[in-house]
Amino acid sequence: MTTETTATGDYRVHLIDTGESYSCPANRTLLNAMVALGRQGIPSGCHGGGCGVCKVYILQGEVTTLAMSRAHVSKEEEAIGYALACRTYPISDVVLKVVGRMRKSVVYRYGFI
Amino acid sequence: MGVMRIGHINLRVLDMVAARKHYEEILGLMPAAEDDKGNVYLKGWDEWDKYSIMLSASDRAGMNHVAYKVESDGDLDELKSRIIEYGLDVEMVPPGTLPFCGRALRFWMPSGHLMYLYAEKEFVGKAVGVNNPDPWPDGLKGAGVHWLDHCLLICELDPPSGINKVADNTRFFTEVLGFRLTEQIMAGPDHTVQAAAFLARTTTPHDIAFVGGPTLGLHHCSFFLDEWADVLKAADVLGKNKVKIDVTPQRHGITRGATSYFFDPSGNRNETFAGLGYLSQPDMPVITWTEEEIGSAIFFHTGELNPAFTTVYTEGV
Repeated sequence: MTTETTATGDYRVHLIDTGESYSCPANRTLLNAMVALGRQGIPSGCHGGGCGVCKVYILQGEVTTLAMSRAHVSKEEEAIGYALACRTYPISDVVLKVVGRMRKSVVYRYGFI
Repeated sequence: MGVMRIGHINLRVLDMVAARKHYEEILGLMPAAEDDKGNVYLKGWDEWDKYSIMLSASDRAGMNHVAYKVESDGDLDELKSRIIEYGLDVEMVPPGTLPFCGRALRFWMPSGHLMYLYAEKEFVGKAVGVNNPDPWPDGLKGAGVHWLDHCLLICELDPPSGINKVADNTRFFTEVLGFRLTEQIMAGPDHTVQAAAFLARTTTPHDIAFVGGPTLGLHHCSFFLDEWADVLKAADVLGKNKVKIDVTPQRHGITRGATSYFFDPSGNRNETFAGLGYLSQPDMPVITWTEEEIGSAIFFHTGELNPAFTTVYTEGV
Protein backbone atom coordinates (compact mmCIF):
# COMPACT_ATOMS: atom_id res chain seq x y z
CA MET A 1 0.00 0.00 0.00
CA THR A 2 1.31 3.42 -0.93
CA THR A 3 0.77 6.15 1.61
CA GLU A 4 2.95 8.87 0.09
CA THR A 5 3.26 9.67 -3.57
CA THR A 6 5.80 12.09 -4.91
CA ALA A 7 4.93 14.41 -7.76
CA THR A 8 6.78 13.32 -10.86
CA GLY A 9 4.58 14.94 -13.47
CA ASP A 10 1.02 15.13 -14.71
CA TYR A 11 -0.90 12.38 -16.45
CA ARG A 12 -4.01 12.47 -18.62
CA VAL A 13 -7.13 10.78 -17.36
CA HIS A 14 -9.67 9.84 -20.05
CA LEU A 15 -13.27 8.98 -19.23
CA ILE A 16 -14.65 6.77 -21.99
CA ASP A 17 -18.20 7.40 -20.79
CA THR A 18 -18.14 11.06 -21.77
CA GLY A 19 -15.03 11.33 -23.90
CA GLU A 20 -13.71 13.92 -21.44
CA SER A 21 -10.17 14.07 -20.20
CA TYR A 22 -8.30 16.03 -17.57
CA SER A 23 -4.85 16.35 -16.13
CA CYS A 24 -3.94 14.59 -12.88
CA PRO A 25 -0.68 15.12 -11.01
CA ALA A 26 1.00 11.99 -9.65
CA ASN A 27 0.46 13.17 -6.08
CA ARG A 28 -3.30 13.65 -6.43
CA THR A 29 -6.00 11.04 -6.64
CA LEU A 30 -7.99 10.70 -9.86
CA LEU A 31 -11.06 12.08 -8.07
CA ASN A 32 -9.36 14.91 -6.23
CA ALA A 33 -7.72 16.19 -9.43
CA MET A 34 -11.07 16.12 -11.22
CA VAL A 35 -13.01 18.07 -8.59
CA ALA A 36 -10.12 20.51 -8.03
CA LEU A 37 -10.46 21.47 -11.72
CA GLY A 38 -14.23 21.83 -11.38
CA ARG A 39 -14.72 18.92 -13.75
CA GLN A 40 -17.39 16.24 -13.56
CA GLY A 41 -17.86 12.68 -14.70
CA ILE A 42 -16.89 10.54 -11.73
CA PRO A 43 -19.40 10.82 -8.82
CA SER A 44 -17.75 12.60 -5.89
CA GLY A 45 -18.53 11.29 -2.41
CA CYS A 46 -16.54 10.74 0.76
CA HIS A 47 -13.02 10.87 -0.73
CA GLY A 48 -11.96 8.27 1.83
CA GLY A 49 -12.62 4.92 0.16
CA GLY A 50 -15.70 4.31 2.27
CA CYS A 51 -18.84 5.14 0.28
CA GLY A 52 -18.09 3.60 -3.11
CA VAL A 53 -19.78 6.15 -5.39
CA CYS A 54 -16.54 6.90 -7.30
CA LYS A 55 -15.93 3.31 -8.38
CA VAL A 56 -14.14 3.08 -11.73
CA TYR A 57 -12.76 0.39 -13.99
CA ILE A 58 -9.23 1.05 -15.22
CA LEU A 59 -9.11 0.01 -18.89
CA GLN A 60 -5.61 1.26 -19.65
CA GLY A 61 -2.73 2.62 -17.64
CA GLU A 62 -0.97 1.99 -14.36
CA VAL A 63 -2.13 3.19 -10.94
CA THR A 64 -1.41 2.73 -7.25
CA THR A 65 -4.15 2.62 -4.67
CA LEU A 66 -4.69 3.18 -0.96
CA ALA A 67 -6.99 0.98 1.15
CA MET A 68 -10.55 0.82 -0.17
CA SER A 69 -13.59 -0.51 1.69
CA ARG A 70 -14.18 -4.14 0.71
CA ALA A 71 -17.85 -3.32 0.86
CA HIS A 72 -17.34 -1.68 -2.54
CA VAL A 73 -14.26 -3.22 -4.19
CA SER A 74 -13.54 -6.89 -3.51
CA LYS A 75 -10.05 -8.36 -3.79
CA GLU A 76 -11.13 -10.11 -6.98
CA GLU A 77 -12.41 -6.88 -8.50
CA GLU A 78 -9.30 -4.99 -7.48
CA ALA A 79 -7.13 -7.62 -9.18
CA ILE A 80 -8.85 -7.06 -12.54
CA GLY A 81 -8.81 -3.26 -12.47
CA TYR A 82 -11.70 -1.98 -10.39
CA ALA A 83 -10.83 0.82 -7.96
CA LEU A 84 -12.25 3.81 -6.13
CA ALA A 85 -11.06 6.98 -7.87
CA CYS A 86 -10.60 8.74 -4.52
CA ARG A 87 -7.97 6.17 -3.50
CA THR A 88 -6.20 5.92 -6.86
CA TYR A 89 -3.02 7.71 -7.97
CA PRO A 90 -1.90 7.57 -11.61
CA ILE A 91 1.59 6.45 -12.56
CA SER A 92 0.86 6.72 -16.29
CA ASP A 93 -1.89 8.11 -18.48
CA VAL A 94 -5.16 6.37 -17.59
CA VAL A 95 -8.29 5.40 -19.51
CA LEU A 96 -11.22 4.49 -17.28
CA LYS A 97 -14.92 3.70 -17.26
CA VAL A 98 -17.17 5.07 -14.51
CA VAL A 99 -18.91 2.27 -12.61
CA GLY A 100 -20.14 3.93 -9.40
CA ARG A 101 -23.14 6.15 -9.07
CA MET A 102 -24.95 8.19 -6.49
CA ARG A 103 -27.41 5.91 -4.78
CA LYS A 104 -30.47 7.70 -6.08
CA SER A 105 -32.86 5.08 -4.98
CA VAL A 106 -36.31 3.91 -5.91
CA VAL A 107 -37.64 5.99 -3.04
CA TYR A 108 -36.24 9.31 -4.24
CA ARG A 109 -39.78 10.40 -4.88
CA TYR A 110 -40.34 10.15 -1.15
CA GLY A 111 -38.38 13.25 -0.62
CA PHE A 112 -35.32 12.82 1.39
CA ILE A 113 -33.28 10.17 -0.35
CA MET B 1 -34.18 6.85 34.99
CA GLY B 2 -33.70 5.15 31.67
CA VAL B 3 -31.48 6.18 28.79
CA MET B 4 -29.38 9.28 29.46
CA ARG B 5 -27.33 10.02 26.38
CA ILE B 6 -25.15 8.68 23.58
CA GLY B 7 -22.19 6.91 25.19
CA HIS B 8 -19.97 5.95 22.29
CA ILE B 9 -19.84 4.83 18.71
CA ASN B 10 -17.56 2.12 17.38
CA LEU B 11 -16.29 3.17 13.95
CA ARG B 12 -14.45 0.97 11.46
CA VAL B 13 -11.46 2.61 9.80
CA LEU B 14 -9.33 1.52 6.86
CA ASP B 15 -6.08 3.13 8.08
CA MET B 16 -5.61 3.53 11.83
CA VAL B 17 -2.69 5.96 11.54
CA ALA B 18 -4.71 8.29 9.32
CA ALA B 19 -7.80 7.87 11.53
CA ARG B 20 -5.89 8.76 14.70
CA LYS B 21 -4.45 11.86 13.06
CA HIS B 22 -7.98 12.90 12.02
CA TYR B 23 -9.75 12.30 15.32
CA GLU B 24 -6.89 13.37 17.63
CA GLU B 25 -5.02 16.13 15.78
CA ILE B 26 -7.82 17.61 13.65
CA LEU B 27 -10.96 17.09 15.76
CA GLY B 28 -9.00 17.33 18.98
CA LEU B 29 -10.24 14.21 20.78
CA MET B 30 -7.93 12.94 23.49
CA PRO B 31 -6.41 9.45 23.50
CA ALA B 32 -7.84 7.36 26.34
CA ALA B 33 -6.66 3.82 25.72
CA GLU B 34 -5.51 1.28 23.17
CA ASP B 35 -6.23 -2.42 23.65
CA ASP B 36 -4.30 -5.53 22.60
CA LYS B 37 -6.51 -5.89 19.52
CA GLY B 38 -5.41 -2.47 18.31
CA ASN B 39 -8.72 -0.71 19.06
CA VAL B 40 -8.20 2.94 19.95
CA TYR B 41 -10.39 4.77 22.48
CA LEU B 42 -10.80 8.56 22.45
CA LYS B 43 -12.72 11.14 24.46
CA GLY B 44 -13.67 14.78 24.14
CA TRP B 45 -12.10 17.16 26.66
CA ASP B 46 -15.52 18.01 28.14
CA GLU B 47 -16.57 14.38 28.61
CA TRP B 48 -15.99 12.54 31.86
CA ASP B 49 -16.36 8.88 30.91
CA LYS B 50 -13.36 7.07 29.49
CA TYR B 51 -14.26 7.22 25.81
CA SER B 52 -16.91 8.20 23.29
CA ILE B 53 -15.15 7.06 20.13
CA MET B 54 -13.84 3.54 19.63
CA LEU B 55 -11.84 3.06 16.43
CA SER B 56 -11.43 -0.45 15.03
CA ALA B 57 -9.17 -1.25 12.08
CA SER B 58 -11.08 -3.01 9.31
CA ASP B 59 -11.15 -3.47 5.56
CA ARG B 60 -14.69 -2.00 5.49
CA ALA B 61 -15.63 1.51 6.57
CA GLY B 62 -18.73 2.20 8.66
CA MET B 63 -19.90 1.47 12.17
CA ASN B 64 -19.97 -1.68 14.28
CA HIS B 65 -22.31 -0.44 16.99
CA VAL B 66 -23.58 2.53 18.90
CA ALA B 67 -23.98 2.51 22.68
CA TYR B 68 -26.15 4.67 24.96
CA LYS B 69 -25.69 5.11 28.68
CA VAL B 70 -28.57 4.54 31.10
CA GLU B 71 -28.84 6.15 34.49
CA SER B 72 -28.61 3.14 36.80
CA ASP B 73 -27.76 -0.53 36.60
CA GLY B 74 -31.33 -1.54 37.49
CA ASP B 75 -32.59 0.29 34.39
CA LEU B 76 -30.97 -2.43 32.30
CA ASP B 77 -33.26 -5.11 33.80
CA GLU B 78 -36.31 -2.92 33.28
CA LEU B 79 -35.34 -2.10 29.69
CA LYS B 80 -34.52 -5.73 28.96
CA SER B 81 -38.06 -6.73 29.95
CA ARG B 82 -39.56 -3.98 27.83
CA ILE B 83 -37.46 -4.92 24.78
CA ILE B 84 -38.48 -8.59 25.12
CA GLU B 85 -42.11 -7.57 25.54
CA TYR B 86 -41.84 -5.52 22.34
CA GLY B 87 -40.66 -8.66 20.57
CA LEU B 88 -37.00 -7.98 19.86
CA ASP B 89 -34.13 -10.32 20.71
CA VAL B 90 -31.92 -8.94 23.47
CA GLU B 91 -28.99 -10.33 25.39
CA MET B 92 -27.42 -9.17 28.67
CA VAL B 93 -23.66 -9.37 28.10
CA PRO B 94 -21.22 -9.51 31.04
CA PRO B 95 -19.02 -6.63 32.20
CA GLY B 96 -16.07 -5.99 29.88
CA THR B 97 -17.85 -7.19 26.75
CA LEU B 98 -18.16 -3.51 25.97
CA PRO B 99 -14.61 -2.38 26.77
CA PHE B 100 -14.25 -0.49 30.07
CA CYS B 101 -18.00 -0.87 30.68
CA GLY B 102 -20.21 -2.83 33.06
CA ARG B 103 -22.84 -5.32 31.94
CA ALA B 104 -24.75 -4.27 28.88
CA LEU B 105 -27.84 -4.99 26.83
CA ARG B 106 -27.09 -5.97 23.26
CA PHE B 107 -29.75 -5.91 20.56
CA TRP B 108 -30.46 -4.96 16.99
CA MET B 109 -32.71 -2.00 16.34
CA PRO B 110 -35.66 -2.69 14.02
CA SER B 111 -33.52 -1.06 11.30
CA GLY B 112 -30.77 -3.67 11.77
CA HIS B 113 -28.22 -1.41 13.49
CA LEU B 114 -26.45 -2.97 16.52
CA MET B 115 -27.04 -1.12 19.78
CA TYR B 116 -25.84 -1.50 23.36
CA LEU B 117 -27.16 0.00 26.56
CA TYR B 118 -24.87 0.17 29.58
CA ALA B 119 -24.94 1.86 32.98
CA GLU B 120 -21.29 1.99 33.95
CA LYS B 121 -18.14 3.05 32.13
CA GLU B 122 -14.73 3.72 33.61
CA PHE B 123 -14.53 7.31 34.88
CA VAL B 124 -11.74 9.63 33.78
CA GLY B 125 -13.04 13.15 34.36
CA LYS B 126 -13.15 16.32 32.31
CA ALA B 127 -9.84 17.82 31.21
CA VAL B 128 -10.58 20.90 33.34
CA GLY B 129 -11.52 18.92 36.43
CA VAL B 130 -14.30 19.82 38.85
CA ASN B 131 -12.61 22.12 41.37
CA ASN B 132 -12.73 25.77 40.30
CA PRO B 133 -12.37 24.69 36.65
CA ASP B 134 -11.15 26.81 33.75
CA PRO B 135 -13.70 27.21 30.93
CA TRP B 136 -11.49 25.19 28.60
CA PRO B 137 -8.17 23.38 28.91
CA ASP B 138 -4.82 24.48 27.47
CA GLY B 139 -3.23 22.45 24.72
CA LEU B 140 -6.40 21.54 22.82
CA LYS B 141 -5.67 20.36 19.29
CA GLY B 142 -7.47 21.24 16.06
CA ALA B 143 -11.20 21.87 16.42
CA GLY B 144 -11.15 20.95 20.12
CA VAL B 145 -14.58 19.30 20.04
CA HIS B 146 -16.36 19.02 23.39
CA TRP B 147 -18.23 15.74 23.12
CA LEU B 148 -19.90 13.20 20.88
CA ASP B 149 -23.36 14.70 20.47
CA HIS B 150 -25.49 12.31 18.39
CA CYS B 151 -25.50 10.00 15.42
CA LEU B 152 -27.70 9.79 12.34
CA LEU B 153 -28.45 6.34 10.97
CA ILE B 154 -29.73 5.54 7.50
CA CYS B 155 -32.70 3.17 7.70
CA GLU B 156 -34.22 1.25 4.85
CA LEU B 157 -37.19 3.05 3.29
CA ASP B 158 -39.22 1.63 0.41
CA PRO B 159 -42.90 2.52 0.89
CA PRO B 160 -44.21 0.64 -2.19
CA SER B 161 -42.85 -2.55 -0.59
CA GLY B 162 -44.27 -1.57 2.80
CA ILE B 163 -40.81 -0.99 4.27
CA ASN B 164 -40.24 2.00 6.54
CA LYS B 165 -37.50 1.31 9.07
CA VAL B 166 -37.47 5.02 10.02
CA ALA B 167 -40.99 4.63 11.38
CA ASP B 168 -40.17 1.21 12.87
CA ASN B 169 -37.18 2.60 14.76
CA THR B 170 -39.11 5.67 15.87
CA ARG B 171 -41.86 3.51 17.34
CA PHE B 172 -39.35 1.29 19.17
CA PHE B 173 -37.32 4.22 20.51
CA THR B 174 -40.37 6.13 21.73
CA GLU B 175 -42.44 3.24 23.08
CA VAL B 176 -39.65 1.13 24.58
CA LEU B 177 -36.58 3.29 25.18
CA GLY B 178 -38.46 6.42 26.22
CA PHE B 179 -37.16 8.77 23.54
CA ARG B 180 -39.27 11.76 22.44
CA LEU B 181 -39.88 12.60 18.81
CA THR B 182 -38.83 16.24 18.35
CA GLU B 183 -38.88 16.70 14.57
CA GLN B 184 -39.79 14.68 11.50
CA ILE B 185 -39.90 14.91 7.72
CA MET B 186 -43.14 13.70 6.17
CA ALA B 187 -43.01 12.84 2.48
CA GLY B 188 -44.99 11.02 -0.17
CA PRO B 189 -48.71 11.20 -0.94
CA ASP B 190 -50.54 13.35 1.66
CA HIS B 191 -47.32 13.50 3.68
CA THR B 192 -47.95 10.05 5.10
CA VAL B 193 -44.41 8.67 4.83
CA GLN B 194 -42.15 9.38 7.79
CA ALA B 195 -38.90 9.82 5.85
CA ALA B 196 -36.80 11.14 8.74
CA ALA B 197 -37.15 11.33 12.52
CA PHE B 198 -35.17 13.17 15.22
CA LEU B 199 -35.41 11.89 18.78
CA ALA B 200 -34.18 13.07 22.16
CA ARG B 201 -33.69 11.86 25.71
CA THR B 202 -31.77 14.94 26.84
CA THR B 203 -33.04 18.50 26.48
CA THR B 204 -31.28 18.89 23.11
CA PRO B 205 -33.13 18.64 19.78
CA HIS B 206 -31.77 15.16 19.09
CA ASP B 207 -29.71 12.40 20.64
CA ILE B 208 -30.26 10.11 17.65
CA ALA B 209 -31.80 10.52 14.22
CA PHE B 210 -33.07 8.18 11.52
CA VAL B 211 -33.28 8.99 7.84
CA GLY B 212 -34.67 6.84 5.03
CA GLY B 213 -32.43 5.39 2.36
CA PRO B 214 -32.05 2.39 0.08
CA THR B 215 -29.90 0.38 2.52
CA LEU B 216 -29.05 0.69 6.20
CA GLY B 217 -25.97 2.73 6.92
CA LEU B 218 -24.14 5.27 9.02
CA HIS B 219 -24.83 8.80 7.81
CA HIS B 220 -22.76 10.64 10.40
CA CYS B 221 -21.68 11.04 13.97
CA SER B 222 -21.63 14.55 15.34
CA PHE B 223 -19.37 16.44 17.74
CA PHE B 224 -20.46 19.41 19.82
CA LEU B 225 -18.92 22.87 19.68
CA ASP B 226 -20.05 25.96 21.56
CA GLU B 227 -21.02 28.40 18.84
CA TRP B 228 -20.96 29.49 15.19
CA ALA B 229 -17.46 30.91 15.46
CA ASP B 230 -16.20 27.52 16.62
CA VAL B 231 -17.81 25.80 13.64
CA LEU B 232 -16.18 28.33 11.30
CA LYS B 233 -12.81 27.85 12.94
CA ALA B 234 -13.23 24.07 12.78
CA ALA B 235 -13.81 24.41 9.02
CA ASP B 236 -10.55 26.38 8.80
CA VAL B 237 -8.80 23.51 10.55
CA LEU B 238 -10.36 21.07 8.08
CA GLY B 239 -9.26 23.20 5.12
CA LYS B 240 -5.74 23.51 6.44
CA ASN B 241 -5.57 19.75 6.73
CA LYS B 242 -7.19 19.03 3.34
CA VAL B 243 -10.05 17.13 4.96
CA LYS B 244 -12.85 16.43 2.48
CA ILE B 245 -15.67 18.79 3.44
CA ASP B 246 -19.16 17.73 2.42
CA VAL B 247 -21.05 20.84 3.57
CA THR B 248 -19.37 24.10 4.58
CA PRO B 249 -20.70 25.85 7.70
CA GLN B 250 -24.37 26.75 7.57
CA ARG B 251 -27.62 26.30 9.47
CA HIS B 252 -30.01 23.37 9.59
CA GLY B 253 -33.72 24.15 9.51
CA ILE B 254 -34.24 20.97 11.52
CA THR B 255 -32.77 21.46 15.04
CA ARG B 256 -31.66 25.03 14.08
CA GLY B 257 -28.11 23.78 14.58
CA ALA B 258 -25.04 25.47 13.13
CA THR B 259 -23.33 22.73 11.22
CA SER B 260 -20.51 21.60 8.99
CA TYR B 261 -20.07 18.12 7.50
CA PHE B 262 -16.89 16.37 6.46
CA PHE B 263 -15.42 12.90 6.12
CA ASP B 264 -12.84 11.01 8.13
CA PRO B 265 -9.99 9.39 6.13
CA SER B 266 -12.07 6.21 5.72
CA GLY B 267 -15.10 8.05 4.40
CA ASN B 268 -17.19 8.00 7.58
CA ARG B 269 -19.07 11.31 7.76
CA ASN B 270 -18.55 13.59 10.77
CA GLU B 271 -20.36 16.75 11.77
CA THR B 272 -19.40 19.64 13.98
CA PHE B 273 -22.60 20.97 15.54
CA ALA B 274 -22.96 24.15 17.59
CA GLY B 275 -25.73 25.69 19.60
CA LEU B 276 -28.38 23.60 21.26
CA GLY B 277 -31.02 24.98 18.90
CA TYR B 278 -33.82 24.99 21.43
CA LEU B 279 -34.87 23.41 24.68
CA SER B 280 -36.50 20.08 24.01
CA GLN B 281 -39.03 19.16 26.68
CA PRO B 282 -41.49 16.26 27.04
CA ASP B 283 -44.46 18.53 26.28
CA MET B 284 -42.88 20.27 23.29
CA PRO B 285 -45.04 19.77 20.19
CA VAL B 286 -43.45 17.73 17.41
CA ILE B 287 -42.10 19.87 14.56
CA THR B 288 -42.99 18.59 11.09
CA TRP B 289 -41.26 19.44 7.83
CA THR B 290 -43.01 18.54 4.60
CA GLU B 291 -41.46 17.28 1.42
CA GLU B 292 -41.86 20.60 -0.45
CA GLU B 293 -39.58 22.33 2.06
CA ILE B 294 -37.12 19.49 2.45
CA GLY B 295 -34.22 21.57 1.13
CA SER B 296 -34.77 24.23 3.77
CA ALA B 297 -35.28 21.59 6.44
CA ILE B 298 -31.80 20.27 5.83
CA PHE B 299 -29.90 23.35 4.62
CA PHE B 300 -31.80 26.41 5.66
CA HIS B 301 -29.76 29.03 3.78
CA THR B 302 -29.69 27.55 0.30
CA GLY B 303 -32.88 25.54 0.59
CA GLU B 304 -31.27 23.03 -1.75
CA LEU B 305 -30.28 19.44 -1.12
CA ASN B 306 -26.74 18.42 -1.92
CA PRO B 307 -26.95 15.04 -3.70
CA ALA B 308 -23.79 13.75 -1.99
CA PHE B 309 -25.20 14.65 1.42
CA THR B 310 -28.29 12.55 0.96
CA THR B 311 -26.82 9.60 -0.92
CA VAL B 312 -23.24 9.13 0.31
CA TYR B 313 -22.71 7.12 3.49
CA THR B 314 -20.81 4.17 4.94
CA GLU B 315 -22.01 0.78 6.21
CA GLY B 316 -24.26 0.60 9.27
CA VAL B 317 -23.41 -2.92 10.42
